[in-house]
Amino acid sequence: MNAFLAVLWKDLAIEWRSRDRFAAMLVFSLLVVLVLYFAAPPSLDAAQNGYVPGLLWVAYVFAGVLGMNRAFAAELENDALSALALAPVDRGFLFLGKATASFLILGVVQALTAVFFALAFTLDLWAVAPQLAAIAGLGGLGIACAGTLLSAISVRTRYREVMLPLLLLPLLVPVLLAAVRATTQLLETGSLPWPPIQMLIVADAVYAIVSFLCFEFVLDE
Amino acid sequence: MSGAVVRATGLAKRFGPLAALQPLDLTLAAGETLALLGPNGAGKSTLLRLLAGLARPSAGVLEVGPDGATRPARRAAVGLVAHATFLSPQLTARENLTLAARLYDVAKPAARAATLIEAHELAPVADRAAGELSRGWAQRVAIARALVHEPRLLLLDEPFTGLDPRAAEKLAERLATQRGGARAAVLVTHELARAVQLATRALVLVRGQALAVAASALASTPALESAYRDAVAALEAAP
Repeated sequence: MNAFLAVLWKDLAIEWRSRDRFAAMLVFSLLVVLVLYFAAPPSLDAAQNGYVPGLLWVAYVFAGVLGMNRAFAAELENDALSALALAPVDRGFLFLGKATASFLILGVVQALTAVFFALAFTLDLWAVAPQLAAIAGLGGLGIACAGTLLSAISVRTRYREVMLPLLLLPLLVPVLLAAVRATTQLLETGSLPWPPIQMLIVADAVYAIVSFLCFEFVLDE
Repeated sequence: MSGAVVRATGLAKRFGPLAALQPLDLTLAAGETLALLGPNGAGKSTLLRLLAGLARPSAGVLEVGPDGATRPARRAAVGLVAHATFLSPQLTARENLTLAARLYDVAKPAARAATLIEAHELAPVADRAAGELSRGWAQRVAIARALVHEPRLLLLDEPFTGLDPRAAEKLAERLATQRGGARAAVLVTHELARAVQLATRALVLVRGQALAVAASALASTPALESAYRDAVAALEAAP
């Protein structure tokens, strides 16, 4: 538990001082929303159109992949990654610390992106904000869990910037499908649809457990 | 492990077709300091990373620390000073030491960091970001970091790099005082005089093959130079 809190504190302290990852993710996701806004036909009624929630998740996933690419990049300087690998703890707790930090950073980006998205597409998301936050949180958790594991794998490869999206995006298909379906049904009915939520919970649990168990071996050279 | 801090049998490491370390038997007892000598690319750093638990051996058995230790328990027995400092550049020296103390589950991490700062005379840079430190100061923080949990096995990969003469002498004194104590150390160095000053045994590595140097060669630098040249020649002539 000490190691989990230590890694979480370290990642959040570093992010608070540099804001590198947060700024890159936020600007990127806002630009994605802007591009989608200009790409959408002028006659689009976002409230009635089933594919609009998918656009929000495009911004979330791209921002998430960008953030996960940076999750271990900072550890390369001075080989700080080896300092983590040397820690005499179950490395699963190092994974939990890194994943939680990424989840929190992504959560703030998701919230700000949702506000901008609502303004751009004139959607009233405020009425369903708690439910939308729950869906975004579950989706973000899946991105953070799978992304942390794959980022740790890809960070020592030569083409890590390309490698991570190639590995991560296919793995996120169940999360993306469930999150888009849940968001669509939420905007249509105003209540949380359980089947896609259950799918999100199962996907998150699988990614978290597998990543926790595999992290011991991922940090070995 | 009957008092031995390290016991390796047939320890080997391959990177694809390249044999970075050929099967090696090694036992290191508490109080011993082993000097690892050899030209660049000989496999010294690879051996250190195997001992530290950062890499898995391709073959052989390696025991570090207590008998039947789990991998985390083995890592707890080891402190490593490598070429890289392992410091997070955005954190201050004090924060890096506190973080290390927390990762090693040391009681009162902040107090332990303060103790190390005092003992290693790091006060002038304690609250500066590690990324802003000169190589010498960063190396001093890295050495303090490796000692944060009082490891039983200290692994030092050219630890004198970047240190000014006074800091180098302080480190040498610190290493010399541990001889005969509860800690074992492995020192990678190209400075044969340092090996004579600090080591109780020496091992020469060339192309992953190891050859022990006679203890009598550690009596003086010229004797070690001669033994080192002979060992390198013998290993280079080997198939």
